[in-house]
Amino acid sequence: MNPTLKNIQAGAILKNAHVQFIIFGVILCFLPAIAASGAMKSSTLSTLAFVLIYSIVSIGLNLLLGYSGLVSLGTAGFMGLGAYLAAYFVENLNLSFWLAILAALVVPTIIGVGVGIVSLRVRSIYLAIATLCISEILLKTFEQLEWFTNGTAGKQSHFPVIFGVQTDRAGMFIVIVVALVLIMMLTHNVVHGQLGRALHAMRSSEVAAQAMGVNILKYKLVAFALATMYAGLAGALYLFFLKSSYPSTWNLFLSLNVIAMVVVGGLRSIFGTIAGCFIIVAIPELVLKKLPVIGDINGLPYIFSGVLIVVVIMFFPQGLKGLADLIVVAFRRKGKKQTADELVKSAD
Amino acid sequence: MADTIKQDGRPEALRIENLSIGFGGLKALDDLSFMVYEKEIFGLIGPNGAGKTTVFNCITQFYKPDSGNVFFRVENARLPKKEKKTDSGGDGADGMVNLVGRPVHSIIKLGLVRTFQNVEIIPELSLIDNVLIGAHVDFKSNMFDQAFRLPRARREEKIYHEKALEAMRFLGIDDKKDELAGGQPYGVLKKIEMTRTLMSNPRLIILDEPAAGLNDVETEELAEIIRRIREQYQCTILLVEHDMRLVMNICDRICAISFGKFLAMGSPEEIQKNTLVQEAYLGEKEDE
Repeated sequence: MNPTLKNIQAGAILKNAHVQFIIFGVILCFLPAIAASGAMKSSTLSTLAFVLIYSIVSIGLNLLLGYSGLVSLGTAGFMGLGAYLAAYFVENLNLSFWLAILAALVVPTIIGVGVGIVSLRVRSIYLAIATLCISEILLKTFEQLEWFTNGTAGKQSHFPVIFGVQTDRAGMFIVIVVALVLIMMLTHNVVHGQLGRALHAMRSSEVAAQAMGVNILKYKLVAFALATMYAGLAGALYLFFLKSSYPSTWNLFLSLNVIAMVVVGGLRSIFGTIAGCFIIVAIPELVLKKLPVIGDINGLPYIFSGVLIVVVIMFFPQGLKGLADLIVVAFRRKGKKQTADELVKSAD
Repeated sequence: MADTIKQDGRPEALRIENLSIGFGGLKALDDLSFMVYEKEIFGLIGPNGAGKTTVFNCITQFYKPDSGNVFFRVENARLPKKEKKTDSGGDGADGMVNLVGRPVHSIIKLGLVRTFQNVEIIPELSLIDNVLIGAHVDFKSNMFDQAFRLPRARREEKIYHEKALEAMRFLGIDDKKDELAGGQPYGVLKKIEMTRTLMSNPRLIILDEPAAGLNDVETEELAEIIRRIREQYQCTILLVEHDMRLVMNICDRICAISFGKFLAMGSPEEIQKNTLVQEAYLGEKEDE
């Protein structure tokens, strides 16, 4: 009796989402050590770091696209803003890492809310248009505003000092992991509470949501503000990891790629989104580019995400999350059959 | 108008005054007035296109009426802060508050909640989460509390979870609480929607064709549920329904309208005998 009880308790703990997130984070923290031992290429570690950074952005966009049913095409612009703000705070103003992160969180959110107030009153397609415009404006600003961004020459930065410790690539990787795990936890809490239910209600039917007392404009703004905030944070982490930022990075293709990550990973799934980011960011980099002939095609990653979006929407509208659910259900059925058999046997 | 208010000495829950609304050239509602007593089951009937759902949409402020008023009895505690205690001018005395011009999402706070003709359920959420949306406006914890799962937010979530379970038990769907709403039979979806209305401690529940799509057995169960809701939750129920048997069975009083105009008002027996109503339905409801 006792061992089975223990098993059940262990199972319950593992089912707790927060525990899963922490385990996931702890496993990721071993990656820099593996890279240092030479078992993994250091370029692979960089690619994985970008997967995690984009995971933060994509989880934010999932709040918007998956939960609230809104589309933003401005992700790249807000991410870039976060990156340049972080660089400006640390390099030009000589302020701390934490203030830089704070700026990258707050300023894009304020701009995002401003854009949202103007564009969210009307149908949601206007949010897509407005965010696309703001993103293009930001991109031009990044190119022209040289005192802030150093223009097309690119803004350079350094690994930050955190709590008096000079970080390196491995250290920044751990910082990114911690940030991602925190974002996963916060997002999980948000979507499983009153706020998340309101977003669900709003996506499902604005009319019904209003009848239940959901202030549509308020919750659209909240979702949009959160997505923008995540993008700003990811932008800052991007800068501190890569130690540079160029305007050309923050173009429409990046925004579209983030949408692809969410769609491929599966709407409304945190782990699904991370898997989606891995496929969209890491597969072209780690696998496709090494293939003969195909690997030499220019713009290969974009072709890959485009094809993947079409395939996913046509055959797996639930994305990787849906695929995983199908597998779990299949296994459960098998498991249930087994336990039923055992029960029959024990009854005998 | 004043003479009808205190009839039977019963307080009124809802008073519709000279409601008119037009869409393009079409007058959907034309100078419609009626009122509903507290704790009454009140039926609104009329042939197709009579404007029944339009009445509901005007009450709940989805439509802004061209003219007329909708007065609703509200406890002082439920009023928005700035309106409390002082009877705001024009809204009438005795706790009656004009709903016209208020934002749609503010109506439920006043104690008025509705269901929809085509059930509006979130298929991706579990039954209990669907029900919990009904308590949306009662949550006091802010986003920050919720994001960090501070004790306040957790306590609140637990309280409403219990409340939702109780309401689900009341309608007999608590055994399915963790199942997804998507893929549930239509009868269950209707029950989720009704359970959800109970979460807001309603004073008045508006049901838009609650029996549509239900079979005879389910309709009888529905009649029983509506009666029990009134007893248990001490609220008023206003319903639009095509199923005449249900309407005649459960309603205390009925208002008949046709082409947006008032036809007749009275007990089920009076309405059945009314020649105007018979004419309006002629050829449509012969089988009743």
